[in-house]
Amino acid sequence: MRPEPGVLGVFSDLARGAQAIRALRAAGHSDVRMASPAPFPELVEALERGRSRLDSVTLSGALLGVLAGFALCIGTAVAWPLVTGGKAIVSIPPFVIIAFEVSVLIGAAVNLAALAVTAGRGRRRRAVPFDPRFSADRIGVFVVGDGLGDAETILRESGAEEVRRVA
Amino acid sequence: MSALASSREIQEKVLATQGRPGVVHTLLIVVAAGAAAFGAWCWSLQIRYGLQVSGLNRPVGWAIYITNFVFWVGVAHSGTLISAVLFLLRAKFRTAVYRVAEVMTVFGVMTAGLFPIIHLGRPWFAYWLFPYPNERHLWVNFRSPLMWDVFAVSTYFIVSAIFLTVGIVPDAAALRDATDGWRRRFYGLFAFGWRGTDEEWRHYARAYLYFAAFATPLVFSVHSVVSWDFAVSDLPGWHSTIFPPYFVAGAIFSGVALVVTLLVPLRRILHLESLITPWHLDMTSRVVLLTSLVVTYSYILEYVLAFHGPPSVERSTLVYRATGPYAPLFWTMVACNCVFPLLLFLRQVRARPAALLAICVLVNVGMWLERFVIIVTSLSHDRIPFDWTGIYRPTFVEVGITLGSLGWFFLWFLIFVRLLPVVSISEMKEASAHGGEDAA
Repeated sequence: MRPEPGVLGVFSDLARGAQAIRALRAAGHSDVRMASPAPFPELVEALERGRSRLDSVTLSGALLGVLAGFALCIGTAVAWPLVTGGKAIVSIPPFVIIAFEVSVLIGAAVNLAALAVTAGRGRRRRAVPFDPRFSADRIGVFVVGDGLGDAETILRESGAEEVRRVA
Repeated sequence: MSALASSREIQEKVLATQGRPGVVHTLLIVVAAGAAAFGAWCWSLQIRYGLQVSGLNRPVGWAIYITNFVFWVGVAHSGTLISAVLFLLRAKFRTAVYRVAEVMTVFGVMTAGLFPIIHLGRPWFAYWLFPYPNERHLWVNFRSPLMWDVFAVSTYFIVSAIFLTVGIVPDAAALRDATDGWRRRFYGLFAFGWRGTDEEWRHYARAYLYFAAFATPLVFSVHSVVSWDFAVSDLPGWHSTIFPPYFVAGAIFSGVALVVTLLVPLRRILHLESLITPWHLDMTSRVVLLTSLVVTYSYILEYVLAFHGPPSVERSTLVYRATGPYAPLFWTMVACNCVFPLLLFLRQVRARPAALLAICVLVNVGMWLERFVIIVTSLSHDRIPFDWTGIYRPTFVEVGITLGSLGWFFLWFLIFVRLLPVVSISEMKEASAHGGEDAA
């Protein structure tokens, strides 16, 4: 994927990186992105990106699992209605256990699939120029757009070790 | 101070563990592979000649194989407890130790899963345990606790493996960017294209929280289900309502003890003393102490319940357990699980890795014996006095398969620690940047 034009600042200090993001947003730059070696909450909060919407997808997967678990138990019990131990053919208490396990299984699988899709799409749509230091010990703050002389100034004033233009 | 100065240092320390194994490590791999091969040969004898080569007979139809199954499932519990439950509780000490616990969980369940199949006698029919459409229109019996086990253990294995793999993604990306050649390609496979962008972290943090939320009830459900394999029957010594919490506490107890057993030599062999510190060992050993007290309470409660009220078969079985031919095993179990862990009340003991290692090895021995005592003594002393003369003695095939399972577990574990990071690099970097207790 061709990188979008913009300005990239490299930081070695977490607080300065967060400060740069806040300053850039305050200056009216709406498309500010970052890359970091760890999930630093300061940076995420500074970006004000809001919470991921995986909740509803994962919850749907878990509910689907409950239904699938009960359907499997009840469907197979009714298909071969053999009484064992004097128990009811459709015996709900033991089926709750299977429904719970299938709920966790499908919920986790859907959560994984949703993570793969959303993180992959996010990586492509809000790409940050690759630099191996961003997975080691540096934070990259990337402002998308043309011109951006003021963004360069803000990044430098915030304490960026290195500021460069990405064509 | 929010500098990332120690981030590279953490990464390099973990990367240094990924090199070619030394002489000791290679020797351990050879020993583990040899034990696993011996176990496989013993199993092949059982497949050729049938269960007659084992010591299983009336009335003891469940013995070492099911003991091993319960032991390894129990061991596997600590991984999810440390990684998921302590993550939700925001316990800081988990950061340096949870990866080892998760790895232990996955390989522990892989080992546990072998035993029901070995116990079947005819392992080629193992697929009958799973519901699948067939020409006879027969389905499995979902009212049986053995079927609950199949679903609980399979789910636990899959969710634990997903949890471990997802946790490795950012670390694999860090190692991918720091290496070259085949290692770069290898780590790239586990990194799934990770770049560490804000969008990735945003979704990752949320998904990780959900994995933890899913895994947490599994910790309690899986071993409860395993306990129902026994408690749902009406055999004296098994048929008890306290079994689920008793088994869950025991599982966490043995699992965390095995984590300490692995961590103490591992941090030395891999030179991770500055990442896995005495503080981490201290906090982990407190969990061992706490669960030891819960297990001790359960042992006492079992006897109090049996002795409360008129004489019963239950009381007779429990007296047999403590005074009969299996009494030496019972009292060894009590010493290992209830007495030796009390030493962990002493700060000086918790501060000494060698002492911790010794206590935790004893706990593992004790917890294996606990499962053996519960299973074998209850079956040896059932409701028919005619059966009481039969004493179960394991054959060399059963002992060989048990040793083989240890070899199988350690073989996977020893290979893993040289191929993928045993400490979470990204979480250690985060803790370090925030100057937490986990700072390197």
